[in-house]
Amino acid sequence: MKLLTHNMLTSKCMKGVNIGYPLKIKAVDLKESEVDFNPDFISRIIPKLDWNVLVSAASSIGKNENLPEDLLPEYEKNTEFLKRVHHVLLEVDVVNGELICPESGRKFPINNGIPNMILNEDEV
Amino acid sequence: MSNIVQANPDFIVEIGSGSGVIITALAAVLKDARCFATDINPEACIATSNTSILNNVSVEVCNMTLLTCFKEYLFDVIVFNPPYVVTDTEEVFGNGIARAWAGGIDGCEVINQFLKLLPNLMSSKGICYLLLIKENKPLEIINMLYGMKFNVDIVKQRKVPCEHLYVLKIYK
Ligand SMILES: C[S@@+](CC[C@H](N)C(=O)[O-])C[C@H]1O[C@@H](n2cnc3c(N)ncnc32)[C@H](O)[C@@H]1O
Repeated sequence: MKLLTHNMLTSKCMKGVNIGYPLKIKAVDLKESEVDFNPDFISRIIPKLDWNVLVSAASSIGKNENLPEDLLPEYEKNTEFLKRVHHVLLEVDVVNGELICPESGRKFPINNGIPNMILNEDEV
Repeated sequence: MSNIVQANPDFIVEIGSGSGVIITALAAVLKDARCFATDINPEACIATSNTSILNNVSVEVCNMTLLTCFKEYLFDVIVFNPPYVVTDTEEVFGNGIARAWAGGIDGCEVINQFLKLLPNLMSSKGICYLLLIKENKPLEIINMLYGMKFNVDIVKQRKVPCEHLYVLKIYK
């Protein structure tokens, strides 16, 4: 599971959970791999992300890459910055670990990079 | 496929990706997009992940029901080849392999559950491709979608032995 995916996942569909976002990450195994860098794509998706969630998720697994708390102005023109965002979003994988609902504490296991978000009948 | 390329999507998802061949083929063509897949069956999730790795493409796989754990309005393209075979309702909600095909009454139980959520799943330029069979009563489904203020095109129809298949393109 990449941090891009983490940025998109919530546990709000659980009974009794209001926002369920952001999920906490407990990373047991991380993997880094090279992905083709496409600066236009990264610039296009930054506005679709929750920036603060990305920065704190990256810090929580020790892969912050000095991302700033606040998004830089004119980041589209800053290739060096976009490269760092690219790395954090797409090149770091949580292979094994857990996602944890911030409200209920429900744990969602991640095995072989696949988060298990299946809920029991009594949880929805 | 060329339709999807033209839409220039950022985020594509296949629901119920099964073996993973469809989303892997999309990922191979759409180099400028990120591809996601969900399936309710953990074995199918592993199969999808393996298919993508064998073909050297990246697909983010999540084991979940439909897209229920994703934030809203994210996906530019949603592809769903749903379990659409007419069966008993019990088979739709069972634990067995029947969930790969069992669609319950008119084969529509999972389809209807999905369509109710659809307005909140697609981005503003979002497109959904949905595969149906004649028994799902595609015209009724299309009318329902019109009622939800969607545009619908039938982009493909094919008769194969025992099945008359339709592919709907649904967009805002
Ligand atoms: C008709 S098969 C599609 C197979 C796949 N497209 C392929 O080409 O191999 C339907 C798939 O949907 C999955 N499925 C059934 N109900 C689902 C649901 N509610 N949410 C997510 N996936 C579901 C099944 O496990 C199965 O893999």
